[in-house]
Amino acid sequence: MAELLLDPNIRGWVFLPIVVITFLVGIIRHYVSILLASQKKVEVHQVQDSQVMIRSRLLRENGQYIPRPAFIMRRHFFNNEETGYFKTQKRAPVSQNPMSDPSMMTDMLKGNVTNVLPMVLIGGWINWMFSGFVTTKVPFPLTLRFKPMLQRGIELVTLDAAWVSSASWYFLNVFGLRSIYTLVLGENNAADTSRLLQDQVSGAAMSMPPDPKAAFKSEWEALQICEHNWVLNGIDSDLVGTQGRLDPIESIYHQSKTN
Amino acid sequence: MAWNYDKLSWSEVRDLFRTWREDSERKSKDVVDLWEAVLMDKVDHLGNEKYLILEQVCVAALDCYRLSLAEYCIKILMREFPGSLRVHKYHAMHLEALEMYDEALEVLDSIIKRDETNAAPRKRRVAILKAKGRITEAIKELAEYLKKFMSDQEAWHELCDLYLQEQEYSKAAFCMEELILHNPHSHLIYQRYAEIKYSQGGYENMEIAKVYFAQAVKLNPNNIRALYGLLLVTNNIALSAKCPTAKKKEAVKLSSWVANQIEKQYSAKASHDDVRGVEGLLGQLQLDA
Repeated sequence: MAELLLDPNIRGWVFLPIVVITFLVGIIRHYVSILLASQKKVEVHQVQDSQVMIRSRLLRENGQYIPRPAFIMRRHFFNNEETGYFKTQKRAPVSQNPMSDPSMMTDMLKGNVTNVLPMVLIGGWINWMFSGFVTTKVPFPLTLRFKPMLQRGIELVTLDAAWVSSASWYFLNVFGLRSIYTLVLGENNAADTSRLLQDQVSGAAMSMPPDPKAAFKSEWEALQICEHNWVLNGIDSDLVGTQGRLDPIESIYHQSKTN
Repeated sequence: MAWNYDKLSWSEVRDLFRTWREDSERKSKDVVDLWEAVLMDKVDHLGNEKYLILEQVCVAALDCYRLSLAEYCIKILMREFPGSLRVHKYHAMHLEALEMYDEALEVLDSIIKRDETNAAPRKRRVAILKAKGRITEAIKELAEYLKKFMSDQEAWHELCDLYLQEQEYSKAAFCMEELILHNPHSHLIYQRYAEIKYSQGGYENMEIAKVYFAQAVKLNPNNIRALYGLLLVTNNIALSAKCPTAKKKEAVKLSSWVANQIEKQYSAKASHDDVRGVEGLLGQLQLDA
């Protein structure tokens, strides 16, 4: 197949502008989302719940380091049938429907305005403005499967799959500029689109705050079956023993003294 | 540590301040001195970090009772962030330093009203009660706080100290247990817990104290305080009337081992004469106990 020669004007007026536009749009989106971000109001009982969960988890993990009565006492505090924390705290189930909560609606709207809308608009505009250009070529051969990915907007059967069309170049940029954004804007910036996609995938699970009732129940169960094995049992004789092994003269000394 | 103030450039001081902030080292005197000697004239070079440094200097100035400097910092911060709760907290701290406790409490209450989840002003309330010497009330307030913020290690530490002031050893021990749960690999916490158990007295508590002193020694063999504690505890157990003979033997063995360890530590670190003196003292200890 004959080698294609691209007009240098394509580089100057299509290839580079797409890079610059996507980059700048990402930056703008970052700052707009900072402007629009609303401080999440946290209720004091939510804080309390999360701290209780941490404490109970720590009790399960590190409970073997405290004496048995202390462990039992704490478990009693959490798990007692009548007075235990996990049994008595009744939290209202969190509203399941985001539509019923106006603040959640605005949050969703803001997310759409800053993330989805610009992507659609700029994508559409780029498609219209720079449609039909072959912009660049990836430096390795690709199979035909890649054609719809890399050659969006160009329906040429005979074109080698390594060539990239302008629309596809835009999409490559949208997803590929992530590390540049991290470099320029720092970690966790809002310009990162891959994060947005993850949000959409797990969107249903994310929009629902974790239900404290269910969390309490599972924590209660875990704590209930947690047994207390005091790891410090016999540590004192251990101490003498290990040191003795390191220092044989020492242990002989002890033996002769105690015998 | 003394810093050669003239030698440090302002950017070095900035980096120094940054590391202190990150390690939450207070170093109040150094911060105030360096601020006045180096950084004060270069405030405009600092960019947004300026405000973090002003906060740091503000707290340091309050520590050193340099009220005018603290006031200056708060004024700049207030002008920049008029509605910020964080700055209000510094304002309250300044009032505290002036011993205008009622006014400070008012400011703190207004902060809590506006943001219920803000832990800092609640802790300041406890600090005010402590400063006034009303320990029992401070304990009550702090316990109330800990019901809401249960995994606040700093608060558990403070509650332990307050209980110790009131000589409520069993409750202080509870706080230390909580800290062990949070941080099971710190020999200092084990040592402190053992000390509290030792102070509580009684044969069973002695046994527990022995185990926890031993754990502290195991985690850090150079912890001389824990070694001494272990020595005292084992002697105490060996002399206890309730102790069965087998246990007594064990305790004597442990005690002689610990005495040995302590001597080793001293001979590794001090001159010969000092070691002699220590040996004499140790002998006395054993006789006394």
